[in-house]
Amino acid sequence: MAKIDIKGVNKSLVFVFSNGSVEEYAALLKNRFENNQQLFKGSPVIFQGTGLEQLSHDDVAALQRLCLDYGMIMHNVHTPVRELKTAGEDLFIYRTLRSGQNLHSEGSMIIWGDVHESAEVTAAKDVIVLGKLEGIAHAGCYGDVSSTIFALDLSPKQLRIGDKISRASGEYIKNPVPCIAYTEGANICIKEYRP
Amino acid sequence: MEKKTPDSHVIVVTSGKGGVGKTTAVANLATGLAKLGYSVVVMDLDIGLKKLDLILGLENRVIYDIVQVADGECTLKQALVKDKRFPALYMLPAAQTRNKDDITTEQVKTICEELKQDFDFIFVDCPAGIEQGFRNSIAAANKAIVVTNPEVSAVRDADRIIGMLESCDFKDIKLLINRLRPEMVRSGDMLSIEDLMEHLCIDLLGVVPEDRNVVISTNRGEPIILDEHSSASKAFNNIVQRLLGNDVELMTLEEDSFWRKLKRNLGFKN
Repeated sequence: MAKIDIKGVNKSLVFVFSNGSVEEYAALLKNRFENNQQLFKGSPVIFQGTGLEQLSHDDVAALQRLCLDYGMIMHNVHTPVRELKTAGEDLFIYRTLRSGQNLHSEGSMIIWGDVHESAEVTAAKDVIVLGKLEGIAHAGCYGDVSSTIFALDLSPKQLRIGDKISRASGEYIKNPVPCIAYTEGANICIKEYRP
Repeated sequence: MEKKTPDSHVIVVTSGKGGVGKTTAVANLATGLAKLGYSVVVMDLDIGLKKLDLILGLENRVIYDIVQVADGECTLKQALVKDKRFPALYMLPAAQTRNKDDITTEQVKTICEELKQDFDFIFVDCPAGIEQGFRNSIAAANKAIVVTNPEVSAVRDADRIIGMLESCDFKDIKLLINRLRPEMVRSGDMLSIEDLMEHLCIDLLGVVPEDRNVVISTNRGEPIILDEHSSASKAFNNIVQRLLGNDVELMTLEEDSFWRKLKRNLGFKN
């Protein structure tokens, strides 16, 4: 059952969303707004709650627009929503990516070739490079921190998994071994890959 | 203007980064080929920042420029400047008072088609950057020479350029490494040929060592390839041979030690 708690915190109205679809929320909000237009008009509004995480960016934007239509002021422009898309098609690339080239996959990305310095790859899930990874790889770019980055020679300037970023130490590793990067808590860990 | 071969090679010399020696390479390779009797034209597309006329020493002979040709203010034949040393070498100068957007890719293609009837080799001197000037330069070319220096900034730009050429369906892309200093490579302070090849993974056309005589020859407007004693001249001559399809080994790049100089002066081969 869709539910929105409305609380007053620090002169702002906090809408706490829980468990519902965008249509239900919209109907609920509209009902509330119509009943007490004076209360809502001109009030700063903050969106919160676990219900938001089930909504897409567009849905949240639609709800925010509804609030704006009733004269409210949106306070948290950066909503804590994370677009949880289901992973799409994996992308297979049979060439080397050079500097300045970028590719995006809605699923995992598998590259049979190298990713050169300052090339960029982003994927909703894993990034697998069967070659040298020197560019920037972003696995789980929609926030899936269980994604991993694998390369036969993992020597990137930067790794990103979900919302986490890690920089290279600056040491040049002479003897490359297959490595895998994954998240552990707030950190990105890299270890030698042993099947 | 007698053609030696039925086909024409349209070669764009590019790099992304400025100052790596694109124009020097164009001037020397064109001079080298003209010396062997091939009819060669060099096209300066660095409109607004022309340098090729200086390096070839033809600055006082320029009357018309490529933008005027494109706009129909003069004929192509009128604009071509004949080299003072080799009758087979011509230059199509860039306009200094205009900019890169004053000419379109279509116009460059049309000019190139016309040049193909008379010339074996057409060199296009590409400006630095990846904007309109670059797009104009690659529009008509069927081969590309990417010039780079053994330093990370030039290599990154070269990598970018190679990527762009590949996405424009260039099949024949060759690498020219310029200003290599063997003694610095040996001491580990400069990227080696192997490092560059491993990173850029395209065919190597040649390596030109750092040579102080290049500066002197540029100031004089005499391409270094005509100074047969310099190491850069030898390197450029080898590259000319490779452009003609001949297999020439990479020259060994050794710094000149006292003993080596002495041996050479006494007539020993080293």
